[in-house]
Amino acid sequence: MLSVKLRGQNVATFRFIAVRLMETLAAWVPTTPEMEAKLLFGEHIWDCAQHADAFGKRTHELRLPLQHSMKPREDYVGFLGRLASLGPTVERIAGFYRVALPRLGARLRLYLGETDALMDAPTVRIIERIFADQARMIRQSEELLAEFPALRQTDERWVRDFAAEESAIGAILAAEAQAGAHA
Amino acid sequence: MNDIAIDTIEVRGIRLRRDPAREPCYKVVRLLTEMRSAGIETPEALREFIHRDINNEVQSTEIAAQMLVDFPDAPWELRMCLARQCWDETRHAWLYVRRLKELGGYRGEFPITNSEWGVTCLFKSLPARLAIQNRAFEAGSLDVFYKMAKAFRDKGDERSAELTEAVLNDEIQHVRFANHWIKQMVQANPRALLEIAAAVDEVNRIMRAMTPQEGEYSIDGVALAAVGRPNFDINVPDRALAAFSGEELEAMLRKEEERRVWEAEERRKYLEQTRLEAQMRSQELAGAGPSDP
Repeated sequence: MLSVKLRGQNVATFRFIAVRLMETLAAWVPTTPEMEAKLLFGEHIWDCAQHADAFGKRTHELRLPLQHSMKPREDYVGFLGRLASLGPTVERIAGFYRVALPRLGARLRLYLGETDALMDAPTVRIIERIFADQARMIRQSEELLAEFPALRQTDERWVRDFAAEESAIGAILAAEAQAGAHA
Repeated sequence: MNDIAIDTIEVRGIRLRRDPAREPCYKVVRLLTEMRSAGIETPEALREFIHRDINNEVQSTEIAAQMLVDFPDAPWELRMCLARQCWDETRHAWLYVRRLKELGGYRGEFPITNSEWGVTCLFKSLPARLAIQNRAFEAGSLDVFYKMAKAFRDKGDERSAELTEAVLNDEIQHVRFANHWIKQMVQANPRALLEIAAAVDEVNRIMRAMTPQEGEYSIDGVALAAVGRPNFDINVPDRALAAFSGEELEAMLRKEEERRVWEAEERRKYLEQTRLEAQMRSQELAGAGPSDP
């Protein structure tokens, strides 16, 4: 079972990621030529912002400052940086909707498996709503790709490698937080 | 002031931020002389108008998104407003895309210009960008959309009228949050006011440089200098909803009236000059007599 402190640290870490995803999409909007992809990213900026906001309100309920973010482990920050630096639109769409979002979903599921659903019910509700949003975001990206097949990443190996890079990271909570939890 | 790198281009002796990415099907231009004149009188003019609006909404998305990128330390509540604006502007773009298709138009049918991006994103100050984009350009759209909704309706185009009113409604929030946050930022740091004043001066300089001169025509042959700036009444009720104070609205109405008087006088002088020139030419032709065989 997770302590209040660990729950707060996890939620603050999820907030950091949501903000970084929002900023990544924001940076891609002016630099992506294809209008449909540009508008998809623009819409999902708002989804990521709402996720960050919900996590940020929850941090305050878990004895941390309002809208508090905690940096994840450096290798996960590196993964987010590599995501943000993707240039071609096909890589951006695949990297975000086929790797980053599903992998984040898996991490959120892992958290749900570790926390007490009754004790930490407000966080559980936030995450369940995020699952619904993520499913819609991914579905929208699939609809876009169905209409514009040229934007689909056909190099499946690229997708697998990028996903494997994320999976290899393991736990994303910063090392000092993990050490503190075991202390 | 933020230490951000800004890539610029030069147009008519002034600097603009380099254009955002566009697909190759678009012809991106920078001057009104490279665009079709604005209007909704003919089916082609209406398609151009909607086509232009798609790009305007895309630019608004890009400008709000770039503020999120360039100012990561802005208050979270303001960042939330900008993030929400991004979504609103994408919906507007889609609404215009849908309308353009209904009208038989297609992307890239007309040249586009990214002047709002080029001007707004020049500034390294968040209060300046909010003042130029949201408080000036978007507030200006409150006046334009109000008049355009009526123009569409008068023409019997209810669908375009409803679309315009829906967009107008959303834009009110974008102006309102900017007005709120500009006041907050100026109160917290009076230097913000100087940054806004400097930006307004620079925008006025850019506008003067970009204003069409005598003898310049749009690609559909309209003499742009003679047309002048279109007149749109100040949309007082919607600007009030967007948190402009009574004093600000009164000042705007006064300034607008002064501008109209000045423009009417300038137009009268221009027409008189044109009339005199035509008279002289006709006298010269009459004096020259029949040409030699």
